[in-house]
Amino acid sequence: MMPTGKLARMVVANATRSPKHFILSAFGIVIGIGAFVFFMAGTIGVSDVLLGKVFPLDQVEVIAPHTSIAGKNLSQKLTADTVATIKARPEVKEALPRMTLQFPAVGFGKFEGQEIRFEVGGFTDGIPDVHVADDPKLVDVFKDWGADPANDGPACVPGTPNACPDKAWQYCDGYDKVCRKRVPVIISPTVLELYNSQVADSHGLPHIGVMEQFIAERGRERMHFYMGLGSTMMAGSNVTIDPAKHREVGAILVGVSDKARRVGLTIPIGYVERWNRTFVGDTAASEYSSIIVTLRHKDQLAPFAQWLADGPKLKLEDQLGSSFATVIYVIRLVLLIIAFIIVMISAINIAHNFFMQVSERRREIGVLRAVGATQGDVMAIVLGESAIIGVVSGVIGCVLAWLASLVIDWILAHWVGEFPFKPTTLFNFEVWIAPSAIGLSIFFCVLGGLLPARRAAKLEPAAALAQN
Amino acid sequence: MTSPVISLRDITKSYGQGAARASVLRGVSLDIAPGELVALVGQSGSGKSTLLNIIGGLDKADGGDVNVLGHDYRRTSEQALARLRNTSIGFVFQAFNLLDHLTCLQNVTLPSQFSAAGKDVDTRGREALDRVGLAAFAGRRPSELSGGQKQRVAIARALFGAPKLLLCDEPTGNLDSATGAEVIEFFQKLNRDDGVTLVIVTHERRVSNIAQRVVAMRDGAIVEGAGTNEHTAGAGDDLGGPA
Repeated sequence: MMPTGKLARMVVANATRSPKHFILSAFGIVIGIGAFVFFMAGTIGVSDVLLGKVFPLDQVEVIAPHTSIAGKNLSQKLTADTVATIKARPEVKEALPRMTLQFPAVGFGKFEGQEIRFEVGGFTDGIPDVHVADDPKLVDVFKDWGADPANDGPACVPGTPNACPDKAWQYCDGYDKVCRKRVPVIISPTVLELYNSQVADSHGLPHIGVMEQFIAERGRERMHFYMGLGSTMMAGSNVTIDPAKHREVGAILVGVSDKARRVGLTIPIGYVERWNRTFVGDTAASEYSSIIVTLRHKDQLAPFAQWLADGPKLKLEDQLGSSFATVIYVIRLVLLIIAFIIVMISAINIAHNFFMQVSERRREIGVLRAVGATQGDVMAIVLGESAIIGVVSGVIGCVLAWLASLVIDWILAHWVGEFPFKPTTLFNFEVWIAPSAIGLSIFFCVLGGLLPARRAAKLEPAAALAQN
Repeated sequence: MTSPVISLRDITKSYGQGAARASVLRGVSLDIAPGELVALVGQSGSGKSTLLNIIGGLDKADGGDVNVLGHDYRRTSEQALARLRNTSIGFVFQAFNLLDHLTCLQNVTLPSQFSAAGKDVDTRGREALDRVGLAAFAGRRPSELSGGQKQRVAIARALFGAPKLLLCDEPTGNLDSATGAEVIEFFQKLNRDDGVTLVIVTHERRVSNIAQRVVAMRDGAIVEGAGTNEHTAGAGDDLGGPA
């Protein structure tokens, strides 16, 4: 057989001696591989945004399906035992109980000089403070200060300016007339994004980038608001609360966390338990509304969901993320199939071009055989030439896809308006994409060159040399 | 008697299928001794070129035994046959068969691409070009050369591997008479000085005149000169014409 170095040199020289043939053969593969890389990086990029930020698939919400017979509620109860059972699952990294505020409440206060008022009842969850313990910005502030009377401050007179010594953190409780620590509130990145993209501009409010920086610049006091427990903004609310129980508690927005409920407020669960007990009853204080489960990997969602249905008869609340995952998967599949079809058609084109070349180069092949080339050498030369086209086409395809992604990202940045979770790039060129694309390109080019190479190798030297 | 370089026994060869099948060689037997210069003559279609291709392993006989340089072709693998062509057999064609995208030197050293030849490839290539008087043309492309120069480059390529056997198919067919005479003279010198065995398919009387033996073919059979070292310089007088 031909020495490898000599084969490589001959293949490169042959592949580059006819630019017309080279371009004709490479064009389709470049388009196909470019499409493959573009679609792959694009769908991964979009998937990262949608499933990583908008609908984090590794974090799912478990609820009890609602079941009732003859008006009697027979739904499963989510208790501390349920949380422990779920936590014991191998695919579960963390199980986080949530308890929703089950009575009417409103939030109100001033933000940037504007009066704000919003519904809190039903839109506020409580979570154990240990679940934000891994966040250094929240670990010292997101606590159930109300659980221990020792956290209370001195007596105060409601309505008096500077009634409490710690203006940033304390408020004067109008019910007990004592200085209390404000209820720490966190919001999700979704709420912050919705505020920035939907509320801020329309209300002339400032955009908030990094929440902690915003708080530091404007002061803690700007994050104050009050929660009117037992009150509601909803007309016709059928929940009746004893007016004697109505009270107002001070709250403070302390930060942003992906542990917070997607839309609404999140406070330490101790507050919600106590308030639910006071305003609704003991049952409301012992049953969780949902359990947020963090999976060890997104891929474990399906087996976990199956276990939920088969075992504790529970289900996943929000299927939107997995629906999006399926949609993206299908879109990716369709786009990749299109790319594959382009590449396969290109491989056929390469085969056609190489058949033509073999036909045109019959005499040359005959000469090579006459001076000592074996059938294997001839086959290796033709396949080598097609592989060279594969390498070059693959690299050009990758570069074109990358350039196209830059154009798309530029258009996204300059021509497309702001929207929630607007990414800086729609593409994620993971490290394996380019090598795979080039490998694929080589594979299809060699595939296209296979039959012509066989024909070239099988040419009888005498017949090849007899060509006019 | 020394064992022949080429030994052919009852060689048959046909082309085509069914009714269109044409028998080109009909039981050809021929021995050629080492150092012989043999002219193969005959009319067009008599089977001369086919016989030459079979001797060089460029074509396969349908039947019979082919033994060249000690290789029984029926027992020789395709790789071994390629190696034999690479190291021991040189070819010179009427159409020169130079590769236009290569320089003269690259054409001459082309056989080295298919062997683990050493570092002196270019030196040997230049020496081969020098032997045919074209040392100064090493870097030129074949398209820049005259017909005679092209054929000399082709001869240099055939000589590059220092072959024991040189097979030439109408080597002067595309050359003017003066250039053809130079080529013929070169072959004679090569045979005389280096002892290279030459088999030349030709219809030129000048070639027949320098041959030690003239083998005449008609309708796929040898009609004259099949025996070894039989000087038949006058043979084939009525067999001329294109091969």
